[in-house]
Amino acid sequence: MATSRYLTAQKISLLVLVNLYCDRALPSSATIPVLSFLLSKSICRVSAAARSRHNSEHGFSPASIQDFEDVLQGHASSMPGRTLLDHFSKHIWGINSFDALHDLFNNLSILLERPSEEEQQDSAGPERIYLSKTSPLGAFVRRARLEFTRLQFDDSLKLWAAFVEYRAPTAKWNKRLAGLAPSGSDVSIAQLGIRPGDAIFEAVYGNLSTEDVVLISVDDLDSILEFQLDQLQRLGTRVPDDMAVQLRNMLNPTGFVLRQIHLVKLFDAWKAGDYTSAFDCLHRYYDYAMQTREKTHYQYALLHMAILQADFGCFDEAIAAINETIATARENQDMTCLNFSLSWLNHMSKAYPKQMKGAGYMGMLASERDGLTFLKAKAKEAKMHHLLSATLLNEAKLCLATGEPISRALEYVYQSAYLNIRGNVNNYGRLMLFQSTLYSRLGITHLSTVLCDLLLHCYRHGCAVDEQVRAICRIAFGATQHGRYDEALQLLETVDRSIHRTVRQYQYILSCICLIKLRRAIRRTDWQGCTVLLQSLHPTSTRDPELVFLIREARISFLIARRQYPEAFVAIEELASSLREESADIHQRVTTLLLKAELFAKVGKPERGFSVAMRAASVSFKARLMPKLWDAVGRLGGIFNALGEFEAARRLLDAVIPQSLESADHTLTGMLSSQISDSYIGLAGLEDASTTQGARARASYISRAEMYIDRARDAYKTVEDIEGACEQLMKKAVLAKLRGDEKVAEEWAQNYNRMWEDNQERISEGRTVGGL
Amino acid sequence: MSGLSQAEEAQLRIKLQEAVVLCTERCLYHSSKWAAELLNSLPFSSDDGSDTEIESPQADARPPQTPTSRVAKEGTEQRLEARELNKFLLAKTYFDCREYDRCAAVFLPGPLPKGSLQPASSPASASKHQGKGKVKVTGTPSKPNVDIEPVQGLSQKALFLSLYAKYMAGEKRMNEDSEMILGPQDGGVTMNKELPVISAILEEWFANLPGSGRQSQGWLEYLYGIVLAKGKNEKQALEYLVQSVNRYSYNWGAWQELSSLLGTIEEMQQILPHLPQNIVSFIFHVSASQELYQSTEQVHNSLSQVLSIFPTSAFLKTQRALLHYHDKDFDEAEQIFSQLILSDPHRIDSLDNYSNILYVMGMKPRLAFLAQLATNTDKFRPETCCVVGNYYSLKSEHEKAVMYFRRALTLDRNFLSAWTLMGHEFVEMKNTHAAIESYRRAVDVNRKDYRAWYGLGQTYEVLEMHSYALFYHQRAAALRPYDPKMWMAVGQCYAKVNKPTAGIRAYKRALVAGSHYDAGVGSSFGSGESAGLGGGILDPDVLYQIALLYERTGDMSECASYMELVLAQEEGPDFEEMSGDVGGGVGVTPTTSKARLWLARWEFMRGMYQRAMELANELCQDGVEVEDAKALVRDIRARIERERGEGR
Repeated sequence: MATSRYLTAQKISLLVLVNLYCDRALPSSATIPVLSFLLSKSICRVSAAARSRHNSEHGFSPASIQDFEDVLQGHASSMPGRTLLDHFSKHIWGINSFDALHDLFNNLSILLERPSEEEQQDSAGPERIYLSKTSPLGAFVRRARLEFTRLQFDDSLKLWAAFVEYRAPTAKWNKRLAGLAPSGSDVSIAQLGIRPGDAIFEAVYGNLSTEDVVLISVDDLDSILEFQLDQLQRLGTRVPDDMAVQLRNMLNPTGFVLRQIHLVKLFDAWKAGDYTSAFDCLHRYYDYAMQTREKTHYQYALLHMAILQADFGCFDEAIAAINETIATARENQDMTCLNFSLSWLNHMSKAYPKQMKGAGYMGMLASERDGLTFLKAKAKEAKMHHLLSATLLNEAKLCLATGEPISRALEYVYQSAYLNIRGNVNNYGRLMLFQSTLYSRLGITHLSTVLCDLLLHCYRHGCAVDEQVRAICRIAFGATQHGRYDEALQLLETVDRSIHRTVRQYQYILSCICLIKLRRAIRRTDWQGCTVLLQSLHPTSTRDPELVFLIREARISFLIARRQYPEAFVAIEELASSLREESADIHQRVTTLLLKAELFAKVGKPERGFSVAMRAASVSFKARLMPKLWDAVGRLGGIFNALGEFEAARRLLDAVIPQSLESADHTLTGMLSSQISDSYIGLAGLEDASTTQGARARASYISRAEMYIDRARDAYKTVEDIEGACEQLMKKAVLAKLRGDEKVAEEWAQNYNRMWEDNQERISEGRTVGGL
Repeated sequence: MSGLSQAEEAQLRIKLQEAVVLCTERCLYHSSKWAAELLNSLPFSSDDGSDTEIESPQADARPPQTPTSRVAKEGTEQRLEARELNKFLLAKTYFDCREYDRCAAVFLPGPLPKGSLQPASSPASASKHQGKGKVKVTGTPSKPNVDIEPVQGLSQKALFLSLYAKYMAGEKRMNEDSEMILGPQDGGVTMNKELPVISAILEEWFANLPGSGRQSQGWLEYLYGIVLAKGKNEKQALEYLVQSVNRYSYNWGAWQELSSLLGTIEEMQQILPHLPQNIVSFIFHVSASQELYQSTEQVHNSLSQVLSIFPTSAFLKTQRALLHYHDKDFDEAEQIFSQLILSDPHRIDSLDNYSNILYVMGMKPRLAFLAQLATNTDKFRPETCCVVGNYYSLKSEHEKAVMYFRRALTLDRNFLSAWTLMGHEFVEMKNTHAAIESYRRAVDVNRKDYRAWYGLGQTYEVLEMHSYALFYHQRAAALRPYDPKMWMAVGQCYAKVNKPTAGIRAYKRALVAGSHYDAGVGSSFGSGESAGLGGGILDPDVLYQIALLYERTGDMSECASYMELVLAQEEGPDFEEMSGDVGGGVGVTPTTSKARLWLARWEFMRGMYQRAMELANELCQDGVEVEDAKALVRDIRARIERERGEGR
């Protein structure tokens, strides 16, 4: 064994310090700093969350003798003119032979055993501090003693050699202490008159400098790896480069391999997208874990394998593995594992319904709701707060997806939030993301953005990287709605570089960037750019179902914008049928309906989209999908306009415009304003211009129409929707012309042309300067 | 003997060089190591060294050859050796790779006579087998003859190597078959199964020797001696070993075997005339005496003489240190050993003895240092394990100590001191049965280990089996006649088994022995008392015990006089005015106080109230047994009063 199990030179120094403390050698001012130093170094098993706040980079760092110096130098000891460091080094150099080290450990029991009353009275010396056996320091001392007893002789020799090496830097302090200096590191050496370089010195201490000194014990390594694992598993990050180097340095010379290192490697490879080595490491880890004959490892191995397989898109294997996991967990009565795998399966069937069906998964229960109820009951039974909280969120999500009342979803959200607080479950990331989705569906966009901000500000360290990335992307999408493309892109591009090291997150961010760019390009009518972006955004580039939908939606809008209506129609039909098959989220289905209505409007047959738009409006009203409702109403308004029912259209639009202004989706505002301006113009046309009253009314309608046209123009301009903006300019020009104001009409027409040309210029410029 | 002439020294050098080569050829590594060490401990004489270097071709050429005197007679051997040189080299390399069976098969292929003789199955059958074996050789020659034929065609060197390889293979297998040390199956009786085969072949060979006209070189005798000794056929073994050292005296292994067969100093005296007269024999004499605890002036002198020839020999220095150790002169021994580790830090041999010395002196840091040194050199040597075990024992970690002694024994089952020390540890752990077994094994390995005998006795005393213990204490005392501790133990046992007179004799022996050690002069065994009195301080405990025994026999006057003697030890022998160097007495101890109380009561009973009063008052002054003394004073006062009353 090259590495000691627990004891290191550093721990010996800590024990010396504990001795000092118990001897009441510390002045009271130094007690707290020294004790906190002791605790921070002796107790590694603090909960991971508490530790992550302190030193999230390394988790644990062995203290060098320098640390002792730093802590102790500042404090005066009870003896005037001496610092605590002097006191400490006197004790440390007082261990002047291997035998003295032995005595140090043998005498540790004195710290723990409180003498009986009369003995206490007999001893005239200053009062000592006795450690309770169960106190942290007491436990540390006891463990140290036990481990020393367990050591074989040559291992304890190694410890001694390591200690000699460890304290060597403090020799300069030692010089100041009279009486100790001559004995040096080993009293026997001094007695025998040996000097370094003699044959016997080489025989005894010759291996000091050559052999790697034991600075890290297996126990320390264990806690380091545990911390790394925790970080990896909880946050889904990769091992930072510098830490990877450190780990390698620690592990290599010892020749001693902990099996956790394979697990660390597994997660690292997994996140790096290296399927083969991840798979290899997984097997290696569990092969070594089998040494301990714990059969329980088997189901966890299967579970990991299932997740791993699914992550790399091998759904067949994943399902086989998860089925076996469930069977094994059931056999072994491992409720935790069983519930977790069921929950995971549920999640998978929801996220990838098509793939799962393709892989032959039939669903574990009749319906999804039953599955969730079952899981909830199980989680409650087993008191698994984490699972329960997650299941509640899933249920809320299901409510939303099926268009059930929002109040029920909110109820689940609050239950879950309560559980998070009560059971100290770190599920905030998911919760807040979900709330943000909920609010954005309700059309309260600012609240949704605020929640994402909150998540990033307050829970960044505690939540998984995945959730962070989603929050950032959501903020970015919010910004695009306001037309702040550059801001959104900058936000995404300045994401912490370390996140890029995880391949999935990197892909996700990249897709979002492309999507935002694509939307902008469509609005700018940069067709060439669109084609390139669409190619890179092929649905297979990401497997995230939401993103896939967004990409398809963007593609359809592109087709519509390019006036390739037949293709657009086919794409919409395809999308709609696939969504129906997957029994997808209601939000997505409404979106397709609206796309269809838009398509009909674009081809000049808005009335054909009437039923579609009506359906969309009624569904989204029921499910409280407010932005979609407004959109649908806008489409309806357009249809009414086309049918000549201007008054009805106006009333409809008047009713939704204030609400939609609140949500600050400028595309929507632009569309609605443009529609209402059409209605007003229609209304104006209905008035009889011959009568004075009619002429006045017409004038007022037209001025209102112009106002709305201006508003629509502003809105389109902010989102850089050139076609929309130009359309408004054209309307203005036509109005002016109708009014007989040729000059103004000409001006507007020129404006139109200028805008179009400016845009073309910008496109070509942008292409030459920044590419896409 | 002390001064060697140049020529003699050169001769010795050549002899030792030759010994190294010959022993190495036969794979007797330890013997060759010993010879080489001795060779290098000769004082370096520049002219001589340069001489050999200049004539290096000649010097190189000479050693491998057998000495010139024998050349003529060993012409056949040389011829044979030359003929089988290739095969011999092959066999030697196999041996060096520890492929013993393969090595043996180079010269002795095919089946060998197996177990036909069963010579060494048990010690009891030793004498029987001797006769039987002879009968077989002559009576049924047909079977062995077939096998012996190829053996006859071999040179002695080849035969030795193959048989030795066979022996080693047997040892290896024996070790593999042995159970865990002190495990349930470990009876310590696993035998080397190759012994009968080797024995049969060698017996044949030696029987045919006179007829073959060949001259034996001494190596085969050595091997045969070992085999016979293993079969507990010790007398014959001794014979063959003596023959071996006479034929070739630079094989230290033979001498070692010889000394292990010698149980008492008398046995040694007996074989001395049969030994050759040369320097190795002289060294043997010294080391055997050391092993028999003969630390007399004469041995010291001999050792000094040998040391003057080999001034830097670590082996001889160790002998000197051990002599001091047996003399209980620990400081001197420690000095020598610490010089030894300084001059050769990688030498582990006999460091276990050094650790014993440090243990007795209680020098923990030094012992820890020694353990560190030994462990760093080689942690899997029985000596190292013993040192570590001793260290743990000194730190009162007996379980760990036992672990290390056990490890030492696993490495070498015949490692004597580990057995004994493990026995001590078991006694400390109150595991008497294991202790007895350990001691018993130690004694089986080497019957000269008085500590094991003594330990056995002590353990039986703990078990209250005194007559049993008595036997062992007697053995110990026989081995160490000048150690008062042994005699005290004997006396104590006699007292326990109700033999006070014998007990008194034993205690008196102890007194004599004690004075012997204190004065450093070997005093004759006289009546004990007078000699003891003259020596210096006597052990008051022993005196008190003697007094108590006399009390038991009813000899009250003797008892009283011994009690007085106990008291006398308080002041020391100041009646002899020259007591300047002897120092004061032991002072007031619990023993002397007890003696004083006894005397006070005795005087009181005899009616010597004045003396009784004095003694009782002294007791009160010393502050020991005050209550008893005060009660006695009261009684005496009352008596005196009454007598006065009567007298009035």
